[in-house]
Amino acid sequence: MGAPYCPPEREAIREMGAKICFLGAPWDQGTIVRTGTSSGPHGIRQASTQYFPYMFEYDVDLMSFFNVVDCGDIPIIPGNNELSQQYMCDYVTECLEGGAKVLLVGGDHSVPIPGARALSQHLSRHKPDGMMGYLHVDCHLDAAVDWAGIEITNASGPTETFKLDNVSGKNMAHMGSRNGLNPKDWMDFWIDNDMPIYPMSEVVEKGIEVCGRQILERAWNGTDAVYLSWDTDSIDCSTMPGTSCPESFGINAREAITFARLAGEYGVDVIELAELSPIFDVSGISAKLACNLLYHYLGSRASTLRSRNEQP
Amino acid sequence: MNPAKAFAHLFSPLGGDEADNYRNPGQLSFLRSPFMALDSDEFKQSEAPYVFIGVPFDEGNVGKPGSEDGPKEFRVASLDYFPYWFEFNVDLHGCAVDCGDVSMPRVSPGVARERIYAAVLAALEAGKTPIICGGDRSVSIPATRALSDFLGKDKKMGYMHLGAHLDMANSWAGESHLSTCTMARITELDNLSMDNVSHMGARNSFNPKDHIDLAKERGMKFFPMFEMLDRGIDEVTKEAVARVWDDTDGQYLSFNFNVLDSSAAPGVTATESGGLESREIMRIASQISDRGKISVIDVTELCPMFDVSGSTSRTAVCVILRILAGIAAKHGQTTDESLRRPGWKYNK
Repeated sequence: MGAPYCPPEREAIREMGAKICFLGAPWDQGTIVRTGTSSGPHGIRQASTQYFPYMFEYDVDLMSFFNVVDCGDIPIIPGNNELSQQYMCDYVTECLEGGAKVLLVGGDHSVPIPGARALSQHLSRHKPDGMMGYLHVDCHLDAAVDWAGIEITNASGPTETFKLDNVSGKNMAHMGSRNGLNPKDWMDFWIDNDMPIYPMSEVVEKGIEVCGRQILERAWNGTDAVYLSWDTDSIDCSTMPGTSCPESFGINAREAITFARLAGEYGVDVIELAELSPIFDVSGISAKLACNLLYHYLGSRASTLRSRNEQP
Repeated sequence: MNPAKAFAHLFSPLGGDEADNYRNPGQLSFLRSPFMALDSDEFKQSEAPYVFIGVPFDEGNVGKPGSEDGPKEFRVASLDYFPYWFEFNVDLHGCAVDCGDVSMPRVSPGVARERIYAAVLAALEAGKTPIICGGDRSVSIPATRALSDFLGKDKKMGYMHLGAHLDMANSWAGESHLSTCTMARITELDNLSMDNVSHMGARNSFNPKDHIDLAKERGMKFFPMFEMLDRGIDEVTKEAVARVWDDTDGQYLSFNFNVLDSSAAPGVTATESGGLESREIMRIASQISDRGKISVIDVTELCPMFDVSGSTSRTAVCVILRILAGIAAKHGQTTDESLRRPGWKYNK
């Protein structure tokens, strides 16, 4: 976006008055499928050079409205997943403590494990009895309690988040699931805990607006913060070839943008976009769409706040 | 032993020294199924209803080459899926065996065709439904002949093709068994009445006038893309499926994934715009699987070298597996929902 660099430190972020921090997690050591997502943050930054921060649909300059800053990439320690994820957690924490909301770009889909932990800890520091909502938009249910004994892979975002003290199943939901990379225990996790999944067949039937609203309402029902974890493979592989698990029968580009705008209406504390894999994306359409999702989220957020005479 | 242990493949890997990485099982086969030779007793006695047969044949091609890598890539893509399909609550583990690729002599297309014929016939005689992965579309010529001969003269065969091209050339540059001649040869089979043929998705101008003329002359029913859009996919599919499945003794289902829009299927030999979206082909697949039976399935014209993200092969595998899962669900072959992963704990 051409946003200025800001060190990922709370004082610096506060000093710059940043209300949105872009944070890259160039990370694919948590993946159970093919790699390549470590180029995701780079891909989305590159795609963003082709867009203006002004969005005519909302008549807003994202840059000046949110004081967007780029906090760079989170350092990754090759071979040390726990330490790497701890850094992710620390960096997200700094942004949140600096008074900003976070655009967290993966990276494989284990990023929500430290990401949601950071938001959960942040919330419990500032509001000990507060609750956090968690949404997972993905082709995959990602609910492995463990994958071959490991609990921090990209198949365990929701299960690890569910363990957090201030997260209740009442505020969790899944949207976009389909096809055969969803072992039975993943579905058992959602069903056995009375958490709704909106599979693709239902999204097609009822429309993304209806389903999207339902999950956002659920996440915000009695909560003080929401984490939105959005996997690019929720989107159909025709418009999202640049992901590590391209899948057919997904949401199309206009539905994805509709959901981004809807999320902007409600707002979230951390919006995380995972599994973008530019290496498989010859003409760059995936990164451009991913970039648009964030832009439309911000544009819609800005116009919602403006209509309420609120500041970000 | 935990009774759920025998169903370990339904769940996330348990790990341990004996464990597999699900994407790298050590041997590249369709759905991690066991390899068996077509003429072995093991194959004839196996209970799997489906058999995967690769046909890496590109010598009937008139356009962009590359379809001979189709079977290999189809197998690779199948490893990205689990046998369990949650939307159907169906477990496809053990549903198939892999009989490898038909051995292809180079520069002898006639010999190749006879080998394809023999392989498909052997699979049918073993009582299985072959899933054939080409290769260019001309591999359907010997494969349909095998089904026709297997059924015999007094039985009725149905044939459905989904693709952008009619391939109805009586001859092409003097040749009669090229991919563009496929439909012309198939519509000559004795026990295939034109009442039992459906072609869906024809569009754009790789359909020369002689193809249309021959289709009309023979009374071959095709549903062009415009008609599908005007009348609605569901309604057209209902009519097309009824033609092929009502009152027939065997059904041949054939896919060229250029029936999908080129955005959804860049990895085919002849990409075509203006086609189906993936969610539309899933609806078609579910109407097909509702019929509960298929004699032969083929997928031709995949072109992995242009499929940078591998998304086309994955879509192809996904459509086929959804059909298999749908058929299993139709027959009530669903999984016991109460099964849980060994050691399962899910409450806080």
